[in-house]
Amino acid sequence: MAPAPARHLLLLLPLLLAAAPAGADDLVAELQSLRARSPSGVIHLTDTSVTRFLSAPASRRPYSVLLFFDAAALHSKPDLHLPQLRTEFALLAASFHDRNPGSGDLFFADIEFAESQHSFHQFGVNSLPHVRLIRPEHSTLAGSEQMDQSHFGRLADSMAEFVESRTGLEVGPIVRPPLLSRNQIILLGILFLISIPFAIKRVIEGETLLHDRRVWMAGALFVYFFSVSGGMYGIIRHTPMFLTDRSDPDKLVFFYQGSGMQLGAEGFAVGFLYTLVGLMIAGVTHLLVKVESLQTQRFAMMAVIAIGWWAVRKVIFLDNWKTGYSIHTFWPSSWRIWNHPH
Amino acid sequence: MAEPQQPTAVRGSGEGGGGQFRNAVGGVLCAFALLLIGVLAFSIRLFSVIKYESVIHEFDPYFNYRVTQVSLISAERSSAASIFCQRMESFSQKKRKKNGVYEFWNWFDDRTWYPLGRAIGGTVYPGLTLTAGTLWWLLNSLNIPLSVETVCVFTAPIFSANASWATYLLTKEAKGPGAGLMAATILAMVPSYISRSVAGSYDNEAVAIFALIFTFYLYVKTLNTGSLFYATLNALSYFYMVCSWGGYTFIINLIPMHVLLCIVTGRYSSRLYIAYAPLVVLGTLLAALVPVVGFNSVLTSEHFASFLVFIILHVVALVYYIKGLLTPRLFKVAMTFVIKVGLAFCYAVAVILVSLVASSPTKGWSGRSLSLLDPTYASKYIPLIASVSEHQPPTWPSYFMGINVLAFLVPSGIIACFFPLSDASSFLVLYLVTSVYFSGVMVRLMLVLAPAACILSGIALSEAFKVLIRSMKFQRPSSDDDSSTEGDEVSSVPANSMKNQSKTSVKSETVTKEKPSKKNRKMDQDPEGSSPVGPTREQKLLVLPCGPSFVGIMSLIVLCGFYVVHCVWAAAEVYSEPQIVHTYRSPYGLHVFDDFREAYAWLRHNTEVDDKVASWWDYGYQTTAMANRTVIVDNNTWNDTHIATVGTAMSSPEKEAWEIYNSLDVKYVLVVFGGLVGHRSDDINKFLSMVRIGGGVFPNIKEEDYLRDGIYRVDAHGTPKMLNCLIFVETDGTGFDRARGYEIGKKHFKLTHFEEVFTTHNWMVRIYKLKPQKNRVRGKLKLKSRSKTSSTLKSGGKTNPWQ
Repeated sequence: MAPAPARHLLLLLPLLLAAAPAGADDLVAELQSLRARSPSGVIHLTDTSVTRFLSAPASRRPYSVLLFFDAAALHSKPDLHLPQLRTEFALLAASFHDRNPGSGDLFFADIEFAESQHSFHQFGVNSLPHVRLIRPEHSTLAGSEQMDQSHFGRLADSMAEFVESRTGLEVGPIVRPPLLSRNQIILLGILFLISIPFAIKRVIEGETLLHDRRVWMAGALFVYFFSVSGGMYGIIRHTPMFLTDRSDPDKLVFFYQGSGMQLGAEGFAVGFLYTLVGLMIAGVTHLLVKVESLQTQRFAMMAVIAIGWWAVRKVIFLDNWKTGYSIHTFWPSSWRIWNHPH
Repeated sequence: MAEPQQPTAVRGSGEGGGGQFRNAVGGVLCAFALLLIGVLAFSIRLFSVIKYESVIHEFDPYFNYRVTQVSLISAERSSAASIFCQRMESFSQKKRKKNGVYEFWNWFDDRTWYPLGRAIGGTVYPGLTLTAGTLWWLLNSLNIPLSVETVCVFTAPIFSANASWATYLLTKEAKGPGAGLMAATILAMVPSYISRSVAGSYDNEAVAIFALIFTFYLYVKTLNTGSLFYATLNALSYFYMVCSWGGYTFIINLIPMHVLLCIVTGRYSSRLYIAYAPLVVLGTLLAALVPVVGFNSVLTSEHFASFLVFIILHVVALVYYIKGLLTPRLFKVAMTFVIKVGLAFCYAVAVILVSLVASSPTKGWSGRSLSLLDPTYASKYIPLIASVSEHQPPTWPSYFMGINVLAFLVPSGIIACFFPLSDASSFLVLYLVTSVYFSGVMVRLMLVLAPAACILSGIALSEAFKVLIRSMKFQRPSSDDDSSTEGDEVSSVPANSMKNQSKTSVKSETVTKEKPSKKNRKMDQDPEGSSPVGPTREQKLLVLPCGPSFVGIMSLIVLCGFYVVHCVWAAAEVYSEPQIVHTYRSPYGLHVFDDFREAYAWLRHNTEVDDKVASWWDYGYQTTAMANRTVIVDNNTWNDTHIATVGTAMSSPEKEAWEIYNSLDVKYVLVVFGGLVGHRSDDINKFLSMVRIGGGVFPNIKEEDYLRDGIYRVDAHGTPKMLNCLIFVETDGTGFDRARGYEIGKKHFKLTHFEEVFTTHNWMVRIYKLKPQKNRVRGKLKLKSRSKTSSTLKSGGKTNPWQ
C-alpha cells in the first residue's frame, strides 16, 4: 500500500497498519492518537502493529515502548498476578501521561498471547509476567531489555523506577485512583455528620448494639482468633490459602514446613484450635455449671477434656513439625540433646 | 454502681473472728507467694549468666551500657579518652550523680559516626540508664561495691520481678488476688518477655514493660477508687514510661480508647474523670520534659487521640452535671438546644482539625505508627523498616513460641472478663485486643501482648480452678431441695454470690471499705455465673460432677506443667545466648569462641586512643563500648550515606577501598569471618546488604556484578568482582569455608594496601591496618603525584592518590 496521509491512516489503523512505511513523525503521531483512544493510555498491539511500530529501523523510531506481555488464558493463575500487574501497568501509564502530557518519547503498550503469538516468538518471551523496554537504540526485538522480576515487587512504584533509570524520563508519583470518588466521599461525609446527632441520642438512651456485651465479646474473640492465626501475615505477605503440590497437581498443600512462612488455611486451622480450647474452658466454667442434669455435665466435661487434649497435642505436634524445635525438660548437663540450629 | 452498702453488711454478718484469722493467713501466704514469684522471675533469667558469664549481650545493650557509664562519670572528665579508663571511685558520688545527669543531657558523642558525631543526650530514652545509674548509686551508698556492668546485667531480671508484682496488682484490681497470683506466676516466666529481659539484655524494654504494667495498674486503681492520689502516681508512672521506651504511645492511645469505650457504653462516672483528666494534663506536661519527646507530645498525631477524648470527657461530664441540676423535662429541652448549638460548633472545629491534619503528607503520623494502623503500609512505602526481622508479621508458631499454652487460655479469660463486666475487666480486654492485633502486625510487639495474655490466662485458670475445686469440695445433693444435708456450705454460697454480684459496686467505694471485702473474696469461692439471681431467691450450688472435675484439674495442671517446661527450655536454650560469645558443639565437645572480645581488647591495648576503626555497622556499638575507639558507623543507623560509604568500601577492590577509608581517616578495618569455625552471620553473609546499601547511594556499585546467575557465592564460581572486593580479600585465607560448606574461590594473594595486624584465635575477627602511602622517588612523577595527591585528598579522595 502506498504511503497515505497520516490522517487517513489513523482512521483506518487496524486494517491498514500492515506495511505502511511512514516517517518518524507519522509513527509518533499515530501512537499518540492510539494512546488518546485508549482509556488508560496503554496501546494494544498486535503482530502487525508490532512490525509497524517496533521493527522499524531506529532512525524512524525515536521513541521507547514499554511492552507488557499479557495472556488472557493465564489470568486465572493466582500466583502469576497477571491482572493485578496489568492494572498496575495501566496506572504507571496514566501517571506518566499525567506528568508528561503529549509526550512522544515513551509509549506504553500491551500485547496478548492468543492474538499475537508471532510477536511473542520474535521477542523470545516464553514465560510471564514479562515486561520489555524497547528503546530506539535496540536494533532487534529480542535485543530489547527485559524488566527484572525484582521490579514487579513493589508494583507500579518499582516499575516506575525501572523506567526512570533506563530512559531518563520522569514518571512522577504514581497516581492511584482513590477508593471512592470525591463526590462519594463528600456525600458519605455529609451522611456521617447528619447521623452523629441520632447516634448520640441512641447512645445516651443506651439501646444500641454497643451496649450489648455479647457483641463486644464476639468482636474481641474474633480479633484474637484472627491475630493468633497469623491472619495479618496473610494480608501483608499475600500468602495464598493453600498451594498445589508441584509433583502432584491434584494434591493440595495446606501446611508449609519451615517457620518463616505460613499458608492461610494452616494459620486459621491452628488459630481455631487455639480459640477452641479457650472457648471450651470458658464454656465449662460459665455455662456448664448452670446445667441441671448431672449426666449432661459429666458427658460434656469428658468431651471437652478429650477434645482439649487432642487440640493441644495437635498444636504441639504441628509446631514441632513446622519449626523443628523439640521442647524438652532442661537439665544443666543436657548440652548434648539440643543443638543450635545450623 | 448501685447498692454500695451490701458487701459490708454481708461481711459483718457472715464472718467473725475466724474470718479475720483466715484473712491474715491468706495475706501472709499471698505475700510469701509473691516473694517466690519474684525469685522465680529473677532466677529464670539467670541462665545466661550461669551458662556463659555475667556479660552484657548483643549490640544495643552495649550502647546503653556506655551511655550509663557516661551519665555516671561526670563533668570533670579531662578528655573524652579518659571516660572509661578513670576509676569511678575517684569522684564524689553526689556530685557525680547531679552533674552526670545534666552532662548527659548535653552529651555529644565524638567516638562514633566519625567525622559527624552524634548528639546522644537528646536522642535516647534516658529511663533505662537513669534507672541503672540510680541502682548503682544506691548500692554504692549502701557500701555494696558493684561495678556498673554488674548492675546493668542484672537490671532486666530485677525489673522482671517488679513487672510480675505489678501484674499481680493489676489483675487483683480486676478479678481478685487469686487471679492476680496466677497471672503474676505466668508472667514471671512467659518466654516472649524472657527473650527481652534475660540477665545481660540491658535494653529499654527491660524496664519499660514494668512501667507499662504499673501505669495500667495505677490507672485501673484510680478508676476503682477515684482517688486523686493514685491519679497523680499514675501520671508519674506514665512519665517513667515515657522516659523508658517509645512504646509509651501505646499507653496514651489505649487509655483514651478505654475512656471513650466507657463513655459510649454508658459507664461514665466521676472516677473515670479523675482517672483520666489528671493523667492527660500532668502526663503530657511531664512527657514534654523528656528531651527525646519534647514538643512531640503535643504536636504529633499519636497524642491527638488523648486530647480529643479529654474534650469529649469534659463535655460528657458537663452533661451529667447539668442532668443532676435540672428536672428530667427541663433537661430534655436543654439537651436538644445544646446539642444543636454544640454540634454546629463541633463540626466547625472538626473540619479545621481534619484539614490541618490532612495537609501534612503523612497525616501527622510517623511511619511506624501508620504501619500498625495499616499493616500493609510498611511493606509498600518503607522497605527499610519492613526489612528488619523484628518488624515482620508473625506466623502462628511465633505465638506458640512466645506465649505457648497461654494462647489456649486467653479466649477463656476474655469471656471471664465479661462475667461480670467491670471497668477494670473491660480495660483488660481492650488491652488484650489491641496488643494482639499489633503483635499480629509486628513480631516484636509480642512483648506488649505477653503481659495481657498472662493476665487473661491467669484469670481463666483461676476461674477454672475455682469452679473445679469447688466441685471437688462440695457436691450437689441428689435431689434439688437441699439445705438440710450441707447447710453450712450451701448457705454460705448465696452470701458469696451476693458479694460477687455487687463486685463492681464495691469498686466505687473508698479504699478502706474495699480492702476487707476483697480479702473475703479471695478466701472464699466465687460462683461467677449467679449474678442475675436476687439475694432473696434460693441459691443453687453451681458445681460439676466430681470425677470429671478431678480429671479436668489434672489436665489443667499438666497444661501448666508443659508451660513451665517450655518456658525453662526457652529461657535456657533459646534466649540466653549473649551473642558476644558463641558456642559450638563439635564431636569433641563444646567450644566457646570468645573472639569478639579478644579483638576489641586487642584494639584497646594496641592502637592509639584516637585511631578510627571501620567495620560494618553491626559492630559499631561494641567497638566504641569495648575497645573505646572511634567508629565510622554504628547500630544507630541514622545516616544512610555514611553507611553506604562503608558498604562501598567493603565491596570495592583493595585500592579503591584504601582511598575511601583513607579519606575518612580510618586506620584499622575490622572484618568478621566465620568460615573457619562455621559462624553463619559473618561479613560474607552480610555482604549483599552492604552492596545493596552501597549501591543505593553510589550507583557504580551494582548488585549484579556480585552474583553469578543470580546466586551469591564465594567459591570458585564467584564473580571476579566478588573475589576481588575488599571484604572477600580480607576475610579469606582458610581454604575451606565451613559456614557455607565449600572451598573458597581464591586463595594465596598478597595484599598491597592493607596489612593484617591481628587475627583472633578462631579467625573470627580479623583486623587490618591501612598501609601508609609509599614514597615515590622517580624524579618527574614525584612532584606531579604529590601535588595531585594533596588535592585529591582535600576533595575527598575521589581519584586514586597512587597514580
